[in-house]
Amino acid sequence: MNVTAARTRAIRWPVIRPWLGVAARLGLAAVWLIAGATKVGDLAASGRAVNAYQVMPYDLATTIGAALPFVELALGVILLLGLATRLAAGVSAALLVVFVTGIASAWIRGLAIDCGCFGSGGQLAAGQSPSYLPEILRDLGFLALAGFLLIWPRTPVSVDGWLAGDTRVEDDDE
Amino acid sequence: MSSRKGQRDAARVVREQLAREKRRKRTLWTSVAAVAVLVIAGLIGYSVWSGQRTDEFTAPKGANEAGTGIVIGSGPVTIDLYEDYLCPACKQFQQLSGDTINQLVTEGRARVVFHPVAYLNRFSTTEYSTRSSAASGCAADGGKFKEFTDALFERQPPEGSAGLSNDELIDIGAGVGLNRDDLASCVSGGRYKAWTEHVTEEASRANVTGTPTVRVNGTDVADRSPAGIRAAVEAAAK
Repeated sequence: MNVTAARTRAIRWPVIRPWLGVAARLGLAAVWLIAGATKVGDLAASGRAVNAYQVMPYDLATTIGAALPFVELALGVILLLGLATRLAAGVSAALLVVFVTGIASAWIRGLAIDCGCFGSGGQLAAGQSPSYLPEILRDLGFLALAGFLLIWPRTPVSVDGWLAGDTRVEDDDE
Repeated sequence: MSSRKGQRDAARVVREQLAREKRRKRTLWTSVAAVAVLVIAGLIGYSVWSGQRTDEFTAPKGANEAGTGIVIGSGPVTIDLYEDYLCPACKQFQQLSGDTINQLVTEGRARVVFHPVAYLNRFSTTEYSTRSSAASGCAADGGKFKEFTDALFERQPPEGSAGLSNDELIDIGAGVGLNRDDLASCVSGGRYKAWTEHVTEEASRANVTGTPTVRVNGTDVADRSPAGIRAAVEAAAK
């Protein structure tokens, strides 16, 4: 009983893993594409959202706020294509760590802001109170996707795979 | 036998090394390409943003010296109001405490600096926040800023809608006694859009993260009820 269970698991994992990888890659791509798309239409609001954290001078905040939506969109496209997946996952993880740190610090300092993660300009809607914990948990979920791709970057239907000629190489680099 | 096996092994090792080298090169170049894409994306964002900004603005009549808001009254205590014409909480605030603030102004105890910020452009399909704020600049030129502001909150469109059209803004202005032709050319020409941008940017710089924000002599007032505002003004006057 135990032996067969262990064996099926051992067989299943190599079969399932690449497809879990695809799901993680496309999921993370969707996160970045949506996050970028909701901000890109109002770059001034994106800058205000960054400034609302009050961790950097206003002019730096607006510059980052303007660049960030485009970087997020580009990251989404790169992940969608599966180009340099491990690097893209690493950049994703780094960004998410920065976001989580920012939200946590806003929480600790008692600021009343929206995280601005999906384009709200950092402003809370009328009568809305901050929801820092759900925002952090959500970002940690995204971080898990990035972590999966950092460990197992090789996924089917990717530019990386295509460049490698689909030879069954060990995917311990990339 | 064993030496032939040794040769095979050596050949395999060389093959593997070559393959590893090839993989490393490939990884390097895909990484370089990906990083380049990200950097270029960021630069595009920065240049788009720079292109959107305007440095030159003309403040309407009645603006404060910094050009960040319209001054109403001349009392010793300054009440800064940061509001967006599209913001429902601002409308509620005006209904709740507007009369009290008017009283403080007419009693000569406070002056109001009203900052018509455009924070909520994303919540209308036509940048109503910017258009209404710029129109309020036109109304200030005509000396009817307060009346126009009250009328705009009265007729506030819902969030997510197209907002009021420029024609409707002009009608409202004419309704409070502004010259229709002057107002029409000012609103349609977007004369004060750059000013609105300046007002909005300076408000952000002053760490105004939400609307309405009320400051009495520069200090945030958390209790925006009539009693709370009265108390803050009295405390500031001492």
